[in-house]
Amino acid sequence: MNRRILSPWVTVRVQFVLAAFFVVAGIAKIADPPGFAHEVHNYQIVPGALVNVMALVLPWLEVITGVCLFLGIAVRTSARILGILLAVFIAALSINLARKHPVECGCFGTAKVQKTDAQRLTDMKWAIARDVGLLLLVAQILAASRADVRRP
Amino acid sequence: MLAAAVVCAAVSNAVAGPERHLRWIGSYEAAPGGTSAAARPAGGPAPTPAASSSVAGAAASSAAARAFPPHPEKPWAEISGDDVVSLHERGDVPILDARRTSVYREGHIAGARPFSIWESDVDDKVKAFFTEGHDPSQPIVVYCSGGECEDSHMLATKLHMAGFDNALVYKDGFPDWQKRGLPVHTGDTP
Repeated sequence: MNRRILSPWVTVRVQFVLAAFFVVAGIAKIADPPGFAHEVHNYQIVPGALVNVMALVLPWLEVITGVCLFLGIAVRTSARILGILLAVFIAALSINLARKHPVECGCFGTAKVQKTDAQRLTDMKWAIARDVGLLLLVAQILAASRADVRRP
Repeated sequence: MLAAAVVCAAVSNAVAGPERHLRWIGSYEAAPGGTSAAARPAGGPAPTPAASSSVAGAAASSAAARAFPPHPEKPWAEISGDDVVSLHERGDVPILDARRTSVYREGHIAGARPFSIWESDVDDKVKAFFTEGHDPSQPIVVYCSGGECEDSHMLATKLHMAGFDNALVYKDGFPDWQKRGLPVHTGDTP
């Protein structure tokens, strides 16, 4: 069972799924940096002076790590970075959920549709669940690549 | 990878148009939801009275001063749609739209000017607005999308820091204006 989950066949597909997700998410944010800065600001976690830096750099980090995963370059480093990003996203959403402060995820850029607070809070829970799922994919890549290193 | 991301971000931001460009260091002074006074920067532009206006204009201004007194102790005061309608009808009250320029283009309060708080030229627009010689104690209506939208409060804070003491936030914003069936313009011009 363990061997099947960590097989190269599965790992390559997991890499493609993660890569596609982060490249698409990154490009959507790159298309509208002020819109993403707005979403980052709404989380009320990042100091005002750093909002724009984060809004400019984070999407590119997602795209670059996604492309590296797709091409099989620096797979472990890319997976680690994506793991850290996902942990940060989960923490940011959880903090605002605990505050009962509804925010747009901002995961794929600016939301086009106005939502109610209740809808936003529900979406935040789904976004956390999705990010936990993606974190499991990152864990699979890291575990598989470690198994590769150990294999004689 | 982080270095590559910073380089890509710098290049992308350098070639971005005014609606996509961001300053690296943000200046988002407003504490969302807060109503306390925001400190003005020392050495900032000092409020100056407006140039003389017509008798009718002066009468209207004094009427507005009674209804909407300046509030130098806090960046904004929230007003209702009815208040905005009466100020809009006067025709001499500046109305500023804090939403994104692309959204402004799709439809805005007739006569409102685009002052998107999230675009990099907002500080220049506020400075230019100051140099137009508006009386800092007279009402300025700012609005965004109502509800949870805080863009108008942030713009009001910028105006307060520039020396304007009477920024009035249209609490329910543009959706309320549309709901009332009031005049809406589209395009780049007010």
